[in-house]
Amino acid sequence: MFPSPIEKSSPKLQIAYKTALPLSLFIWLLPLLAIFMTSIRSSKDINTGNVFGIPTEFNFIENYTQVLTHPDALTFLLNTFVITIPTVIVSVGLACLTGYALAIYKFRWALPLFFVFVAGNFVPFQILMLPVIDLSNTLEIYNTVPGLVLFHAAFQTGFCTLFMRNFMKALPYDLIESARIEGVGEFRIFWHVVLPLVKPAIAALAVLIFTFIWNDFFWATVMIQDESSLPITVGVRSLNGEFVQQWQLISAASLLAAAPPVLMFFLMQKHFIAGLTLGAVK
Amino acid sequence: MASDASLQLNRTSSNVPLVAVSLLVALIAIGFMVNINVDNVMSTFELEKRSEARVPAFMFRISLLIIALVAGFIAIINTGLYKKNKIAFSPWIFLSIGLVFFSIYVIIPIFQSISYSFTRWDGLYDVNGVWTGEWIGFHNYIVLWDDPKFWTSLWNNVLWLILFMLAVPIGLGLALFLNQTVRGIRIYKSLFFFPFVISQVVVGLIFAWAYNPDFGLVAEAWGFFFCEQTVNIVGNVTTKCSIDPPSILGDEDYATYGIIAAGLWPQIAYCMILYLTGLNNVAHDQIEAARLDNAKGWNMLRFVILPQLKPATFIAVVVTVIGALRSFDMVATMTQGGPFGSTNVLAYYMFDQAVGEGVGRYGYGSAIATVLFAIMLVYISYFLFRMYQDEKEGR
Repeated sequence: MFPSPIEKSSPKLQIAYKTALPLSLFIWLLPLLAIFMTSIRSSKDINTGNVFGIPTEFNFIENYTQVLTHPDALTFLLNTFVITIPTVIVSVGLACLTGYALAIYKFRWALPLFFVFVAGNFVPFQILMLPVIDLSNTLEIYNTVPGLVLFHAAFQTGFCTLFMRNFMKALPYDLIESARIEGVGEFRIFWHVVLPLVKPAIAALAVLIFTFIWNDFFWATVMIQDESSLPITVGVRSLNGEFVQQWQLISAASLLAAAPPVLMFFLMQKHFIAGLTLGAVK
Repeated sequence: MASDASLQLNRTSSNVPLVAVSLLVALIAIGFMVNINVDNVMSTFELEKRSEARVPAFMFRISLLIIALVAGFIAIINTGLYKKNKIAFSPWIFLSIGLVFFSIYVIIPIFQSISYSFTRWDGLYDVNGVWTGEWIGFHNYIVLWDDPKFWTSLWNNVLWLILFMLAVPIGLGLALFLNQTVRGIRIYKSLFFFPFVISQVVVGLIFAWAYNPDFGLVAEAWGFFFCEQTVNIVGNVTTKCSIDPPSILGDEDYATYGIIAAGLWPQIAYCMILYLTGLNNVAHDQIEAARLDNAKGWNMLRFVILPQLKPATFIAVVVTVIGALRSFDMVATMTQGGPFGSTNVLAYYMFDQAVGEGVGRYGYGSAIATVLFAIMLVYISYFLFRMYQDEKEGR
């Protein structure tokens, strides 16, 4: 293990390390802590300039319910789920199919097509923006939730394919070969042999894509104009516009917008991290 | 014997009735799909607004498309031709939907955007659906060359690229700091990773607030060093500062650095987690062997650990470059390109020109996007090249 375990060093150093840990964490998360503290203050505190001192009263429940009971806030949150969940299902599902084709079959186009998915996954959004708006207009789904979902799902298929293909490539090939010799059809092999083996990859991808889409701001800004279809990342701005100068509500709304991916991360940490390393660091 | 032969025959010849039925189903589904449109959905369900009929119409169409696809695939896999060439045909069947979908929304738009960049167009079609733009060759690029805002954006992108790279060494440092086995370290690791999970919009809001010169974190820290509070007899507090707290986001010279610093926060967390995973996989025996040779500290890191962390470093650099070039959310939430366009980056400037309020310069915007794409292409090619080499070694 590197660096060498702290238990082997002098007691002084060990104490230093153990005090440095919480201290550095405090500094690291200071912006977040500060905004959290603001979100549970009363408006009186903020108006009298007590932004960093000890709050005179704790208004955690009051402030957060005030945000959540704002009619728009719930709509925004609900919209985000309606955008995020179908995207995850479609893109991960499609990537299982494409990943399988690119990993298991040895045909001439396997590598070039794989690279198409990889390259497409890295392009800047701006080069896609105008044609995608145009296409959505032609399909008459511009400014609707399905229009946004369709694009997200297509774009994320690139990343998911990259991930799935690499994961499936690492499966023992003999397994597929012996199934073929037994006379099992190609689709049955996919469904009964390969899919059960890639469950961890599916979980990792699902968590990751959920976070990506939840946190998306650009595409929602570009593809949706109606206030009633906006996700929370964009909606939080208009909420903030309504909570003029009520910083405790603005911070509570911002934190609420960030909450679901955070929960997801703490619940599925292992899968999340496996996904982030792009399968390159095993 | 006879049954054996028929079985053999069955395996390679078409199942004619099934193929016929599923083809018929597919054709009917496609026929309906083409005929359903927003207008007839609106009249059938007696909806008042055209916009209300768009989503249901689309849902009908996509369901029919799925039926047609499934029926089509059933037809294909029951033909003799497929049965004889299973291994050659199957990958294309598995690929088809994903590949077509990805091409329509990602690959083809790249080329469309590049072609838009040679036009003057405001994104509109006339009543007959005819394109209203005109071809103007390289004109947009010539205008771009003389546009000071473009150069500001490009320069800011360079700044982002350079300064964002700090996330890699800082992330490594943090990973080394946290790679211990003391109690509760796992919780520390996840909490350090925390900023990455938060959406960039929220990170932007948090930092915009922290930078606020009146009551933000920075102002507070500033006050600690440079300001003095006096309380007069009546009890009124007056604050006197030797130097006024800076308004980071309001100052042309500092705003971009302020945004980059905010962007570094989640990016460092990302690099840290990559390195932590990498450090987990460093070969133990090599470290022990190096220890026997008296290697420690910096030399150990430089000659034993870093070479083994190469894959992690590679991914960290790639995601950091892409993060730097994609910086949009932060700029949009923190300054919207201001003050006076000083924090524009190509990604934001393009958005602003193309769909920003009252501008609608599709052609010009596409030219900016093409430049950004060209820069990104350098990194994409490098990434693909490295991947290709790994593939060749692998098998």
